[in-house]
Amino acid sequence: MQKNSQRTLADGTRISDLINLETREVAMRTLSDPELYELEMERIFAKTWVFLGHETEIPKSGDFMVRDLGSDSVLVTRDKDGINVSLNVCPHRGMKISTLDCGNTQAHVCIYHGWAFKPNGDFIGAPVEKESMHGKLLTKEQLGLKKARVAIYGGLIFATWNIDGPSFDEFLGDAKWYFDTLWCRTDKGMEVLGPPQRFTIRANWKTACEQSASDGFHVLTLHRWLSEVGPYRKPGSEGGGGDLTPEMYGSEVYTAHAHTMRCIELDRKIRRLTGKDPSELSVKEKLEALPPPGVTQEMIPELLRNLSEDQLKVITWRPPQVGNFFPNGLFEFVYIPTPDGVVGVMALHAYVPKGPDKLEFVNWILAEKDTPPELKATMLRLGVQLLGTSGMVEQDDSDTWPHQTIAAKGAVSKHITLKYQAMYETGKPEGWPGPGDVGDGFTKDDTQWRWWQYWHELMTAES
Amino acid sequence: MLQNLLEPTPLPPSVRANRLAIGSPEYNEILDFLYDEAEMLDNLRLAEWGELLTQDLEYNAPLRHTRSTAQFDQTYIRTVQHLHESYGSMLMRIKRITDTKSAWGEDPPSRVKRMVSNVRVYKTDKTDEYKVESYLLVTRSRFDFDYFDLIPCVRYDILRRIEGSLKLARREILLDQVVIGTPNLGIIL
Repeated sequence: MQKNSQRTLADGTRISDLINLETREVAMRTLSDPELYELEMERIFAKTWVFLGHETEIPKSGDFMVRDLGSDSVLVTRDKDGINVSLNVCPHRGMKISTLDCGNTQAHVCIYHGWAFKPNGDFIGAPVEKESMHGKLLTKEQLGLKKARVAIYGGLIFATWNIDGPSFDEFLGDAKWYFDTLWCRTDKGMEVLGPPQRFTIRANWKTACEQSASDGFHVLTLHRWLSEVGPYRKPGSEGGGGDLTPEMYGSEVYTAHAHTMRCIELDRKIRRLTGKDPSELSVKEKLEALPPPGVTQEMIPELLRNLSEDQLKVITWRPPQVGNFFPNGLFEFVYIPTPDGVVGVMALHAYVPKGPDKLEFVNWILAEKDTPPELKATMLRLGVQLLGTSGMVEQDDSDTWPHQTIAAKGAVSKHITLKYQAMYETGKPEGWPGPGDVGDGFTKDDTQWRWWQYWHELMTAES
Repeated sequence: MLQNLLEPTPLPPSVRANRLAIGSPEYNEILDFLYDEAEMLDNLRLAEWGELLTQDLEYNAPLRHTRSTAQFDQTYIRTVQHLHESYGSMLMRIKRITDTKSAWGEDPPSRVKRMVSNVRVYKTDKTDEYKVESYLLVTRSRFDFDYFDLIPCVRYDILRRIEGSLKLARREILLDQVVIGTPNLGIIL
């Protein structure tokens, strides 16, 4: 059998030839090649842990929702034992079991011939029991829905078809230390503020996902309007109107499995809010001056208790604000200036692949469960205004990715390369206590390059 | 509690007895308003359109879910929505287009037709307010793409007469798609 790393596409190109690991370039055809897309569904989406939603979307026993695990529809359900993820396809004739978006039932009955399944995917039976319409060749135990492996982390639901593969913690690796400061900081944890927005973009999933791996540089140009008008307009003292450069200084973290994050410096904001030098303030004083998004003064003792001294140092200095879960998740914990003060917005995205040239953008908006309702409402409305379907920021992204996807088809342009050659030359910032690879200063390409390195590793892996 | 904060003010019922006859002067005036509005928006006269809004504007577009027939009333989601605007946030959306050089999501702008039909007008308990229902089919063309994005929806509006002129005080947009088939709602519906 041919080794995967040697495996070639129909025109003779080897997958490993699409990426130049020395010069940090990616052949543009990678962004839209149908053959590669099929391989990605098998080697990435059927292998890694994939983000599917939040457990507060299905709070009661019997609640279910239909989601996409890569190119497969899955049922995400809750029963008395917890959360289950099963293939949403009847093992009888291949009909989609649930054609709804969500609901509550203790028996998922296929509308074609009536085979029925428990929320955990176990086969209950087929109609006309005495006729044994499910046959006698297989046992009922063998006729359940195909079950995925599930991990719940800070309320987030992840699943994988890789039953014997790495644990979820192994998959997160060094990113977990940072992610705990977001998802596991309060006692009660987070909740979604409603179902996700969903919309279609005619673009390859990787255009969105390589950007989600902490591309800070694009903000200066693609999202420049933020500095030109309204409450986000930069006052002269911070680089002058039209320049968002100061916002892009901080630390960037990139980890072995391409989970990355942009940790943006808070010093200027804290100095402005308190009138004091941040280095003279304690961790507690800094948290009180500028609590993380969704956190109130009452919750600050929980953060002090639940996080280590080193984690607290990071979240009051350069907290993770935007980052990704490889392969197709993105999170935002951003501080938005408003006339009524700084308001945090928390969102999660999944960029679901829907073919080589199409993705579904799924946008959840979240808050801490203990966030007061008035603040939740403010965070939600600000989130809708800036992110997702109608979001004034993310509109600009959704118009960019289709052009990249189209360009990747040109006979000439498909051979040009995407370049990730802006590199950190710093190492970790002095005194940085967190793990992983860390760059210091202005945003660079290292986080996104890590995304492609891991893509390459999975696409050429032997198993 | 959160739901109460997010839920828009309930619309008055559409009572058949309160319906204005098609072709009556008031009906025609409202039809003119909807046509003029569509023309302004199709032609990027956004600031002018902004002047048609009342300062207590509520403007929202719920999410939709595919649910069973028996649960049809649960197909509208008014917690997280696609649009959830006030007067201030709507003006901000306008300014992003009119006052910056970098609103790339709509620069170059889409070519858009807002086709308004099935207009029904109801008098309400408030003498200066009408409830207006209309179908809207938006065709949107971007760049040199050979397809149109279609955005079909129903709009439930409250129009208020202020010093003789009609203003938009409330709009709820019920979109037909669960997964919106255009890359963003960067255009006004």
